[in-house]
Amino acid sequence: MSQQEQIRAKARELFESKQVECVIGYETGSRGQVRPAFIYGVHDVDRLVWNQGCTHNLTLYLHDKQKPAKKGEPPPRVAIVVKPCDSRDLNVLLAETQIERERVYVIGVACDGIAKGAGFARPSANSNQQPAMQDRCLRCGERVPVVYDVLIGEPPQVDLKDDFADVARLEAMTPAERVAFWLKQYDRCIRCYACRQVCPGCYCNVCMFERDDSLWVGVATGVKEKEFFHLGRAYHLAARCVECNECERVCPMELPLSLLNRKLAKEVLELFRYRAGVEPVKAPLLTMLAEGEEPLI
Amino acid sequence: MKVITQEALKAWLDRLAGETALFAPRSVDGIVLYRPVSRSGEIVFDYTRPKMSPKEAIFPSTDNIVSFEKHSQDVTLPEPALEKQQVVFGLRPCDAHGINVLDAVFIGREPVDLSYARRREATTLVGLSCPQMWEGCFCTSMGGAPDDPSHMDVLLTAVVGGYTVNAITEKGKALFAGLELSELTGEPPHPTVGETVPVMPVGQWPKRFTDRYWELLAERCIGCRVCTYVCPTCRCFDVRDQVAERRTNYARYDRLRCWDACTGPNYRVTAGGHNPRPTKGARLRNRFFCKFYYMSQDYGPTGCVGCGRCIEACPVNIDIVEVLHDVSKTSVATEVTA
Repeated sequence: MSQQEQIRAKARELFESKQVECVIGYETGSRGQVRPAFIYGVHDVDRLVWNQGCTHNLTLYLHDKQKPAKKGEPPPRVAIVVKPCDSRDLNVLLAETQIERERVYVIGVACDGIAKGAGFARPSANSNQQPAMQDRCLRCGERVPVVYDVLIGEPPQVDLKDDFADVARLEAMTPAERVAFWLKQYDRCIRCYACRQVCPGCYCNVCMFERDDSLWVGVATGVKEKEFFHLGRAYHLAARCVECNECERVCPMELPLSLLNRKLAKEVLELFRYRAGVEPVKAPLLTMLAEGEEPLI
Repeated sequence: MKVITQEALKAWLDRLAGETALFAPRSVDGIVLYRPVSRSGEIVFDYTRPKMSPKEAIFPSTDNIVSFEKHSQDVTLPEPALEKQQVVFGLRPCDAHGINVLDAVFIGREPVDLSYARRREATTLVGLSCPQMWEGCFCTSMGGAPDDPSHMDVLLTAVVGGYTVNAITEKGKALFAGLELSELTGEPPHPTVGETVPVMPVGQWPKRFTDRYWELLAERCIGCRVCTYVCPTCRCFDVRDQVAERRTNYARYDRLRCWDACTGPNYRVTAGGHNPRPTKGARLRNRFFCKFYYMSQDYGPTGCVGCGRCIEACPVNIDIVEVLHDVSKTSVATEVTA
């Protein structure tokens, strides 16, 4: 059975045994694009797909599913299809008490890598030729999800180690060159907040960068405001970002946002030997300790 | 019809850039955007649709609509600077159609929006016909066409050896006055036309307001603002006062008008914290109802020009053409409901 057939079979079984009310997976949408799908019963199970267009990090949608559909009811039990990279977000969200493990059935997928341009109607994603892999997949050695209730597919054998070559390119610049590089990038940001909205780690009800009282940053689409927003967001995601690259993928202005997060991921790895979400932890790396309390890591 | 050669057009643009502010398609880190240009060499001629619409030239994402100065105890309001004349070059027919929709909202009736009116008055639109319809384009279903001269001051169309010049308004004719143009031999090209999209008549929309379809459609919506910011007709804004400068006995405050979007979670929150559009479905539904129902009801034109930008830019494939197909089916609600 292909991985796609196995996902459908598992979804069918979960509905028939009444284990879940919704399966969050992928489907083929318009123009051949793959998109997130919300499946509510056996009759829709065959909409589910698995292919190299499945780029979205679906753990984003678990936040919505923590709320009951109707007042007074318990929140729904859901199943979710996760890639190895996305699965790390489950550990992050569990450590931050944002999701309840027993309400989420994790369909983990062994991953061969995702195509460049996936999620959009771009020629590279829809040509008949074997599509080029995303850069992040070309350095990814984690082909099995870190959390799952069922594993779909055989883990591919890869011998890859992330050497942060992308970050090194940036680190090779002088500070002045780096400032110039980033200001040029921020300049074309349109402050659409797609990077924040798509991020499973950005779940504040009111983002500090969008407060009505403009306490931390003004409303203008100026380069200073945008610099503050992007740097602030990157810091808020330090030791929390799992490098799923969704922020960079969704950016309509193609800002290389992953570089900010990857730089901080590299710092955290070197300083604390810690990578967000790789292992289950009882509390986030960066947290407040009560007086006399010992760090967990 | 008159024809201008590519070389003559470039010379004309170079001269224009020296005399007036010129906005034109320009490659910014590989992305084509309408940007100020200082010479024709910076202009991209081979492009589909720039990622953002040219509405920025008339309705900028941040607009300082008024400043207040405080000297000790006296408050003064400095006169706003007069708008500089500007030419938007290379806009597509759908983009001019979009500006016509904005005109209906901002200056179509009293009281007119002064900031918009000043900029609009100082703007001349010199368009470039599309040689074809691209992925996501459906202008022909929204009353436009790839070579539609409506709402332009001048429309250029690429032909062998140059561009035909269709100067429509007095403003447009003045721009090309005195230029040596040759006579077109043969027929101007007719661009290929794409698929036809069914657009539900205005009166039918209210019946679909309570469909469960909207909540299901919006489940994958991430609540960002991409679709509204790339849209040539979305024109919602937020106004806030901001301290621009402060020192002893002097302060200046700017009243900023900045783009806002109905797709954002807190767009509609009222004083006291109530949100009349509390769900993603209610918010996304508003976007479509605004385009195809509220706009027509309140201002006349339909709020969509079929440019396809939101289709191209949506990170989760919320496709306005698919939505139009879906709502045109009578049984859509049951088809997609669990």
